[in-house]
Amino acid sequence: MGLTPTTADEVADALRAATAEHRHVTTTGGGTRSRNGRPADPGVILSTAGLRQVIEHTPAELTVTLEAGLPATELAERLAAAGQWWPQADVRPGSTVGGILATAASGRGRLRHGPVRDSLLEVVLVTGDGRIVKAGGRTVKGVAGYDIPRLAVGSLGTLGVITQVTLKLWPKPPARGWFAMEGSLDERMAVAERIRGEQWRPAAILLAPGRLSIDLVGATADVTAPAGTSPADPPPEVTGRGLVDVGVAPVAVASVARELERLGRDYIAEFGVGRCRVAIDTAADLDTLRALAHAHDGHAVVIDGPDDLRTDPWGTPPPGLAIMRRIKQAFDPAGVLNPGRFIGVR
Amino acid sequence: MATDAQITAPGTAAAEQFRAILGADRVLDHSLERGIYARDGSIQRGECGLVVLPETTAEVSACMRLANDLELMVVPRGSGTGLAGAAVPLDGAVVISLARMRRIIEIDEHTPCAWVEPGVLNLDLTNHVRHLGLHYAPDPSSQQACSIGGNVGTNAGGPHCLSYGVTAQHVLAVEVVLYDGEVVMLGGLAPDAPGYDLRGLFVGSEGTMGITTRICVRLTANPPAVRTMLLDFSTVADGGETVSEIIASGVVPAAIEMMDQGMIRAAEAFTHAGMPTDAAAIVLVEVDGTQTQIAEEAALVERVARAHNVRTVRIAQNEAERDLLWKARKSAFGAMARIAPNYYLHDCVVPRTRLVEVLDEIAAIGTRHELVIVNVFHAGDGNLHPLIAFDRRDVAQTERVMQAGEEIIRKCVAVGGVLTGEHGVGIEKRDFMPLTFSAVDLEAQACTRAAFDPAGRINPDKVLPRGSRCGELGGDIAALPEGAWV
Repeated sequence: MGLTPTTADEVADALRAATAEHRHVTTTGGGTRSRNGRPADPGVILSTAGLRQVIEHTPAELTVTLEAGLPATELAERLAAAGQWWPQADVRPGSTVGGILATAASGRGRLRHGPVRDSLLEVVLVTGDGRIVKAGGRTVKGVAGYDIPRLAVGSLGTLGVITQVTLKLWPKPPARGWFAMEGSLDERMAVAERIRGEQWRPAAILLAPGRLSIDLVGATADVTAPAGTSPADPPPEVTGRGLVDVGVAPVAVASVARELERLGRDYIAEFGVGRCRVAIDTAADLDTLRALAHAHDGHAVVIDGPDDLRTDPWGTPPPGLAIMRRIKQAFDPAGVLNPGRFIGVR
Repeated sequence: MATDAQITAPGTAAAEQFRAILGADRVLDHSLERGIYARDGSIQRGECGLVVLPETTAEVSACMRLANDLELMVVPRGSGTGLAGAAVPLDGAVVISLARMRRIIEIDEHTPCAWVEPGVLNLDLTNHVRHLGLHYAPDPSSQQACSIGGNVGTNAGGPHCLSYGVTAQHVLAVEVVLYDGEVVMLGGLAPDAPGYDLRGLFVGSEGTMGITTRICVRLTANPPAVRTMLLDFSTVADGGETVSEIIASGVVPAAIEMMDQGMIRAAEAFTHAGMPTDAAAIVLVEVDGTQTQIAEEAALVERVARAHNVRTVRIAQNEAERDLLWKARKSAFGAMARIAPNYYLHDCVVPRTRLVEVLDEIAAIGTRHELVIVNVFHAGDGNLHPLIAFDRRDVAQTERVMQAGEEIIRKCVAVGGVLTGEHGVGIEKRDFMPLTFSAVDLEAQACTRAAFDPAGRINPDKVLPRGSRCGELGGDIAALPEGAWV
């Protein structure tokens, strides 16, 4: 059974009914990140595919307001025509704007562009009991009221259905280029450190097994191969039976990379950011990564994989859990939205 | 607001209990001292019941536990430079001043970031890390006086937030003392911690969700090259259109600031920066980055300005000249004293394409109410700062000031703007919140706040209209699967 509402009011009606009847509802966008969180009985699937209007795009404002079910690639085409982009988003083929935000899917250019949660200016969220809540504001700057937009980013559909958003955009830089070098981890780290010191705001410095990749954006004359590197393709995404994001303080990236190479794991580690995406095959691999993450005061979260790898996707619960529960209670009093997704205490 | 002496002060017994925690000299209850803490940088005045001056997280925690036991209202306070009344205690609340917690705890050059206590002054941190080629990017005009804890409270901005982002983008972690004295660390250096982004929610909560006791802020590398340009125009429209077109042409400079003639004259008399006092408007543009980048961007800025009849383009020739131009901009509020004893400052944000129209309307509002209104603002992100000059001893004039302020706010909202860009809602804007938010929106916000502070005793009656309540909280969460987080 599925629902494909075409307005926020229809979403509200559906959720009001679900709350009244205590029926579970799971929201889906493009379905590109649905294997995220603990497997749970989805109940009714609510698709945002019917919500794909661009409400307002005035290029001179560098903002866009749109319905959340719009595929991010369609948005990217529209923005590119105006010389603009949404650089923080990690766009997979089929991903919707709402799905990227609900899963806090930040792209690899975070060293320069920041996380995707920094790009959301205004959100319209339909709560579990069918209230239509708007928060934030459409201007590029604003502090009126609590930052519910940031709360919505990464909430995995557990607080409400994101139906409409306003994003902050950036001018597309005149030039962009990927560069790479190969060598021992020590050699790669030395180049990485040097590039970070010499280059003005590189978009990404990525470590992968045996390889260092650099993403530069800026003036055409500035996008040239840093010493010791040469032009290259962007590194391929990590693929595996399961994917884990190990998050550590940026200073710990080198040690984590060293250990991942010793273990022979495929990975991409974001220098200066602290996110290390690692392929796993078994639950035991996850345990190893979690021990590694904890040794560096970090965390290891399963972001994709079959059910057997997602019995405990989150690990240790975060501080402030009681507050999170009260927020959940306020936005979804009957607990109908995506129940069980945000779960994982041993 | 309790302007008469109707104080429900905590009483002598409570003061003694706080003294048992902090010692006699760090609990202030003399009426003169309470009078000082009854105000902040806004035109609001409240009633302070007691002031406590903790120096450690443990002391803040003990104070919060005691306040909770005694059911006292508390108001956190940094440097008291806030412009919307968020740090103004109402109805005899206890002010918890964090001003004595001003240690820079640790600098991590690699990340790079800094752990600081909340009372550390914004500019002091930048000065502290300058030798490392780093700075703390959010730079409110009050940065010599405002505290980083206060910046967290308001999600403070500043000129350079145009390209570097506001405080929320620079806070990696916040240690917070909750209403009952519990200490939690929200966020951290490791990105994307599981769970809701409570760190992001806390920043900008104007001291209503808990007391900030330690902060980890991101530090930013100093740009390799900077060019600061002063553009002057004979009409405000030319200046405003220049700003809109720079943004529309695909360049986001580090900062774009604008001042109108009234402000130029006051600031020039104060700082002698050599600004043209006959100009109708000046636009201060700063581009930064590589040499190539700043050359390209500066050329574009100049081309746009020439197309809009710029009279002169002055480029700062050295660091001293650049500092002088910024000093003229950042001392604008201080320079207001040359115009009138008091000013009422607004902070709305409008779409950048509507700048000129809104500035025209603000001028018309000033004329209609026979008031002097000058403007100095973050033009690049449409964040207006109209300053209405007045003398608070003139009751009739003060009444007109409030009326004009409301008309400015309504105009900003009418063109698609928001109430506040960086100063916060505090007391001043709280009753305007229904202009942009529905009752349903506001209830959701009240519930978000109540999730942190169920009894509503931390900085009550701020941010949301008085009487806002959360109707949904109270019971246990329904049907939570075993082991579930939320």
